Amino acid sequence: MDAAAVVTVLAVVLIILALVVFLVGVILELRKITAGLDVVIGAVGEILRKTEPVNEVVHAINADLGAGTELLEGLLLKKAGPEDGPGLVESVFPGGGTAMLEREGRSGPVKNIDVVYTRGAVQLVRLGRESPLGAGGEAGPALRDAEYSSTAARSLYSNPTGPEAGARSRPGSPTIGSGAPAVFGSVTGGADEPPTGPTVDLDAGDAADATVDQPPAAKPGAKDEVETKDIGLGSRPGDEQAAE
Amino acid sequence: MLGWIGAIVLLVVVVPVVVVLLKGVLDAARRVSAAVEQVEAAAKAASADLDAVELLGTTRTQVNQTVGVVANYGGSLDTILDDA
Repeated sequence: MDAAAVVTVLAVVLIILALVVFLVGVILELRKITAGLDVVIGAVGEILRKTEPVNEVVHAINADLGAGTELLEGLLLKKAGPEDGPGLVESVFPGGGTAMLEREGRSGPVKNIDVVYTRGAVQLVRLGRESPLGAGGEAGPALRDAEYSSTAARSLYSNPTGPEAGARSRPGSPTIGSGAPAVFGSVTGGADEPPTGPTVDLDAGDAADATVDQPPAAKPGAKDEVETKDIGLGSRPGDEQAAE
Repeated sequence: MLGWIGAIVLLVVVVPVVVVLLKGVLDAARRVSAAVEQVEAAAKAASADLDAVELLGTTRTQVNQTVGVVANYGGSLDTILDDA
């Protein structure tokens, strides 16, 4: 065999060996890629499954929140007015007042509400709440106690004529009638002691003020008779004659 | 003589060109493989990050209830507060 032919055959063999080595390497890499893509496709499918209800749920949440926002904005406009309402929103959420105006189809500057909304404080005071707005910082204990809200409220709202903390809120109802422990105008001592009771100047005031309820006339056959007591207003000249 | 020239060209030119081209394909395949491995890790992490999406249903329910409470509260405020 010619030497040139041998060299040619050798070159062809080298080419074939190179093809085999590199192509086998490519095949192995492609297999790894296929396996990796299988895993990726599974994870992507899981992502698709998890994100499938997101649009519907987010739209529903947005609709609910939008309804709530419209409700509160409408209430705010009704209670605070078209000028103060956006101003109040702006004072809490910078930029929110302008957006509220735009939603209402209006434009222009938003009213500047200071730290204390006077109208709101007046409303609270009218409702019996001594408004703590602007009275102090937010630090410290809560103003209202969830468990003992009554005690907390009494500590907040002073009432000089009211009962002290821990005392009964109202005195007990008096016992009235014949079984009462103390009867107004009753005779406390012996028979010689004059009955107690107020003295009424009949000449100075209306005589009707001193009129004492008289027991109703006993009806024939009545079972019960009302027991009455003399309250000791005394008598005036002519009463006996009138009684006769 | 012509046979020698052909053999030398085959050995010196064709074989290296074939080797370079095949090596380029193999390197590209290896880079794709590495990228696929990174994508695989990212897809797994993204899927894990989306586990909380299932709680959106609870969020929707609670938002609905909250808006209902706010509506009731607004009705009470409408009653006790004066209009502007």
